[in-house]
Amino acid sequence: MASHNELGSQRRQPRRFRPSELAGWGATTGLVTALPVAALMGYQGMLDDRSLGVVPQWGVFIGYATAVGVAIGLGVAYRPRGLAVAASGGVLISLLGWLVFSLTLDPVLHGQTPTWSAPAAAAAYGVLVADVLHGALTGAAVHGLLALHARRPGSKGPRSASAPAEAEPPTRVLIVGGGFAGLSAARRFERLALSGAPIDVTLIGDSNFLLFTPMLAEVASSALEPAHISAPIRAAVPHTRFLYGAVADIDTDDRTVRLSTGTAATSEVERIGYDHLVLAVGSVPHFLDLPGVAEHALTLKDLDDATLLRNHVIGLLEQADHTETDPEQRGNLLTFVVAGGGFAGAETIAELFDLVHRVLHYFPGIAPDEPRFVLVHSRDRILPELSAELGAYALDRLRSRGIEFRLDVRVAEATATDVLLTDGDRVPTRTFVWTAGNRPSALVAKLGGEHARNGAPITDPTLRVTGLDRVWAVGDCAQIPDLARDGAPFPPTAQHALRQGTVVAENIAAVIAGRPPAEFRFRTIGLLVALGHRTAAAEIRGRRFSGVAAWLLWRGIYLAKLPGVEKRLRVLLDWVLDLAFPRDIVVTTRQQPTESTLSVLTTPVSTTRARQTRAEQTRDGQPR
Amino acid sequence: MTATVTAAAPIRRGETLRATALGVAAGIAGGLVFGAAMASFGALPTVASIVRADSPAVGFAVHMVIAAVIGAGFGLLIAHQRAQASETLFWGLIYGGFWWFLGPQTLLPLLLGEPVTWDLPSAQALLPSLIGHLFYGATTAMVFIAFHRDAGETQLPGLATAACGVVAGVTVAALLYLVLDVMANAPLGWIFVEGTLAGLGYPLLFAARREGAGPALIRGTAYGFLWWIVAGLTLPPLLRGDALDWSQEAAVTAVDRLPAYLLLGAGVALVFTGLSGLGRWLFVDDVRMLRVESPGARGLRATGYGALAGLAGGVVFTLVMVLVEALPAVAGLVGAQAPTTGLLVHLTIAQIIGVSYAVLFRRRSFDLTSGIGWGVSYGFVWWVLGNLTLLPILTGGPLQWDAAGVAAGFPSLVGHLAYGAALGVVYYRLEARTNPWWITRNQAEAQRVAARRDQTLGSAPALWGLTVLIALTIPLLISG
Repeated sequence: MASHNELGSQRRQPRRFRPSELAGWGATTGLVTALPVAALMGYQGMLDDRSLGVVPQWGVFIGYATAVGVAIGLGVAYRPRGLAVAASGGVLISLLGWLVFSLTLDPVLHGQTPTWSAPAAAAAYGVLVADVLHGALTGAAVHGLLALHARRPGSKGPRSASAPAEAEPPTRVLIVGGGFAGLSAARRFERLALSGAPIDVTLIGDSNFLLFTPMLAEVASSALEPAHISAPIRAAVPHTRFLYGAVADIDTDDRTVRLSTGTAATSEVERIGYDHLVLAVGSVPHFLDLPGVAEHALTLKDLDDATLLRNHVIGLLEQADHTETDPEQRGNLLTFVVAGGGFAGAETIAELFDLVHRVLHYFPGIAPDEPRFVLVHSRDRILPELSAELGAYALDRLRSRGIEFRLDVRVAEATATDVLLTDGDRVPTRTFVWTAGNRPSALVAKLGGEHARNGAPITDPTLRVTGLDRVWAVGDCAQIPDLARDGAPFPPTAQHALRQGTVVAENIAAVIAGRPPAEFRFRTIGLLVALGHRTAAAEIRGRRFSGVAAWLLWRGIYLAKLPGVEKRLRVLLDWVLDLAFPRDIVVTTRQQPTESTLSVLTTPVSTTRARQTRAEQTRDGQPR
Repeated sequence: MTATVTAAAPIRRGETLRATALGVAAGIAGGLVFGAAMASFGALPTVASIVRADSPAVGFAVHMVIAAVIGAGFGLLIAHQRAQASETLFWGLIYGGFWWFLGPQTLLPLLLGEPVTWDLPSAQALLPSLIGHLFYGATTAMVFIAFHRDAGETQLPGLATAACGVVAGVTVAALLYLVLDVMANAPLGWIFVEGTLAGLGYPLLFAARREGAGPALIRGTAYGFLWWIVAGLTLPPLLRGDALDWSQEAAVTAVDRLPAYLLLGAGVALVFTGLSGLGRWLFVDDVRMLRVESPGARGLRATGYGALAGLAGGVVFTLVMVLVEALPAVAGLVGAQAPTTGLLVHLTIAQIIGVSYAVLFRRRSFDLTSGIGWGVSYGFVWWVLGNLTLLPILTGGPLQWDAAGVAAGFPSLVGHLAYGAALGVVYYRLEARTNPWWITRNQAEAQRVAARRDQTLGSAPALWGLTVLIALTIPLLISG
C-alpha cells in the first residue's frame, strides 16, 4: 500500500491561476486585441452611429470587448496544449457575447425593445464578424500569455500533472472514524477543497460503510435487510481518500497514527502523518464492570450485533417449538430481557416484541402468551430524554402489549441462564440485551489532554481537544460544552454529530487560512423514538407527537435522512414488503448441534460474548 | 465490434517542424479541392488581384500558396491537440470557417485596398466562399490526420458496427420520411440510399470513439450539417450534370432540407450509440467493457439537478418569449392561448429538456466553458427539433423549413441558445457542488479523468464553436 505521503503527492492537483489573475489577464488581452479590431471598424466607418450618450461607439465596443476578455480569461483559463481550445473557446464566448450585447443590451441601452429578429441580427452582422475575430484572437492570446507567465522562473502559475508542483503541499487532515460525524466532516472538506482550500483529507474507518443506527433495531427484528441501512463510505465521499483499517494508537507529539490494515493473516501496520487530526471514533458499550454482563449480554451497536440478535431469537424459537417440554426451561428460552430504558432500550424491546409475535405463526409449539419481554430501567420512568408525558405514553403503550417494566432497579449480575436484579429478583432468560451504558472508544481514552469521567476527551466550544495541539474531536466520543446550557455537554445524537462534523471541517479550514475557528452552537431539533407496530413518540421543537402520526413522522424523517437515494428506495421497499409478507425466519449463521440441542441454546450468550470480547479487544484501538 | 483509434500522443520536441510541413501538404490538398471549386465559380481572378493580376492561373497559384500557409497554421495548431483522427475533421471545419471571416471578409479586401465586407449582403455573396472554406478545412484535416504519425492507426469499422450504422441511418431516414413527410416528392428509394450512406458514414468516421449519447448527439448534428453541404447543396447540381452551385440562391433553395439533415445526423448518432451500447450489453462477454456505474447510482440526483437547471434556463428563455410574444403559441400545445398557460407549458418543457440534458451530458462538463459549450449546442438541437419541427406539428401547423421559416425562428433560436447556456452553467455548478468528478484520489483515477478531459478537449471545443457558428450564420446567410 502506498504511504500517505505518496498518495498525497499523487493527489495534488495542478495549481491554478486565481480567478482575479485570470480576469486581469483576460481584461488586458481583451482590451489589447480589441484595439486593432476597433481601429479597423473605425477606419471603415462602422463605429459612427451607435454612441451611447457621451460614450462614443468605439468606446462602447472597447468596454464590451474588455468584458468579453474577462469572460474568456475566466472561461478558458489555461491548460497546457490548449491553444486551439482557447481560441475556439474565445469564439464561443464572443458569439454568446454578441447575443447578449449586440442583440439584447445595445437595443435596451438605446431605449429600444430587443426583437432578436433576423433583420436585427443582420444589422449587427458587422459586429458579429468583429466578435468572431476578437474572440479567437483573445482566446489564443490569453493562452499564450498565461503559458509564458506559467513558465517564468519563480512564477506561481499553473502546472500540469506532468510538471511536479513546487508549491507548499496541502495541509494533511486525518479523520479517524466513518460514522455520522466523521463522514459529515469529510463531506464538508470535499466542498471546501472544491472552493480552493489547500487540504488533503484522509478518512480512516474500521468499517467501510456508514451505519444508519436509528434503523438498527429494525434489522434485529427482521424488518429491514442489514445492507440497506448502511452506505459505503467510498460512495458517500467519492473524492476523499479512504483507508480501511483500525487505528492502534495516536502519537500527538509526532503527529502520526499507527494504522493496522488487512486481516489477521495479512495484517500490516503503518504510520500515517497528519497536520490536523479529527477524532470521530464513536462509542462502545460500557458494562459498568457488572459481573457476567460483559460475558453474557448481547448489544446493539452494529450490523453484526443486530444480525446476531435476530438469529439468536429465531434460534430460540426454533428450539422452544420442538425440543423443550419443561415449562421452566421454556420460560427461560422465551424470556427476553433488555437493560436500559433509553431510546435504544425502548426501541429494542418493542422491535423484539414485534419480531417474536410476527413470526410466531411459524412455531405452532409456542403459545402466543408464552414469550415474555422485560425491560429493566434504573429510573422511575423510561425515555428520560423525552418529556414526562411522552415517557408515560410510551410506557403505557408498551405495557398494554404485555411488556413488563422493572423500574427503579438495575441489573446486578448476568449469567448464561438468568439476570439478577438489584432488588434480588432473578429473571431466567437466554436473551439479555444491554443498552444501559456507552463510553468512548478506548483509543481516545488513552489520549493526553483533558478527559471527562467516562474517558471522553473534553473539547473547547470550537471542538478542539483541550490540552492537545491540532487535535479535534466530534460526535459520541467527545464531550463538547454547550454554551447555551452553561457548558453542559451536548447529547450524543446523530443530529449533533452531523453538525459537529460540518463545523469541525470549517474550523480546520479557518485555522489553515489564519482565521479564528467558530464555536459550535446547535439547538436540538427533535427527538423521535419508534415503539414498534405503527407507534412512535416524537418531540420536535417542543411540539409533541405520538401514535401513528409520530410513527409516520419517524419513518418519513429517517427515510429522508438515509444516505443515498438507493438506500432510501431499498428501505422503502423493505417497509412495503413488510406490510404484505411475513418476516423472514431464516437463520443466517451456521449453528453447531451439540448432544441434543443447538449450541445457540446451550451457550448462546457465551458465543455472543466471545465475539463481543474479540470486538472489545479490537475496539480498544479501533474507531467506529 | 468496434474499431479502435488510439489517441494522439503528446507532441515531442522536433515534432513542430514536421507538423508544420505536414500542415503545408494537407493545406495544399485542401487548396486543390477549394481551388477546383473556385475555378468552376470563376473566382480565381479575384484572388489573382491580390498580386495585381487577373489571370485564373495566377489566381490559382496565389490561392495554393495561401492554402499552404494556412495549412501550416493548421498543422501547428492541431499538433498540440490530442484529437483523435476522425475528430480532427471538426477542427478543420471550424478552422476553415474562421478563415472565411478572416480571409475573404477581412484580409482580402484590405489587401486590395478596399473596405472590409462585414455586412450581410457581402457575406451572402460570399456564401460559396464559406462552403469552399469548409471543404478546405475538412480536406486539410483529413489529409493531415492520414499522414500524421501520432494520430494513431485507424481501422475500418467491423461488419457489425457498419450494420449498426446502416440500421441507424435507415431507421432515422424512414422516420423522417414517414412522420415528418420529409422529401415526400423524392423517390422512396432515394431516402433509404441517403439514410444508408449517412448511417454508414457515421461509424466510418466516429465508431472508434466510445462515449456518451450527449456528445454523440452534438457530433451527429454537426455531421448532419456536413451531409447537407455534401448531399443537399453540392451533389444535386452535379448529379443533374449542372455546374457546382454554392450560391446564396442555391442555399436558399436547399435550406428546406437543412433541418432534415441536422435531424438525420443527430438521429443516426443517437440510434447508433444506442445500438452499440445494446450490442455491448448483449454480446460482449468482457464486463470490463461495460459501464461500471449503474445508472441509478447517481442518476436520480442528476435528474433532479437537470430539472432545476432546466427551470433556470427556462426562466432566461422566458424573457425572450415574453418580449416576442411567443407564449400564446406555446400554449397552443395544450389547446390554449393564454400567455400564463403558455408560460407553464414552457417551463414544464424546459424542465423535461433539462432532465434529458442531465441524462445525456452527466459528467461531461469539467469547467464553465464546457458547461456552456454542451448547453448551447444542446439548445441549438432543440431549436431544430422543438421550434422548427415539433411545435408546428403539435399545434397542427405545417412545417416551415424554408428560408422564411428559418429566419422567422431567429428569436426562438436566440432563446434556445440562451436557454442552453443557462442550463449548461447551472447544471455544471450543481454537479461541481455535489460530485466534482474531476477531483481525484489517486494517480490511477487522475489518469482516467485526464484521459476523459483529453477526450473531451480533443474535439468538443471545435464542435461547440462549429455548432454556434452554424446556428448564428446560416439562418442569416439564407435570409432576405
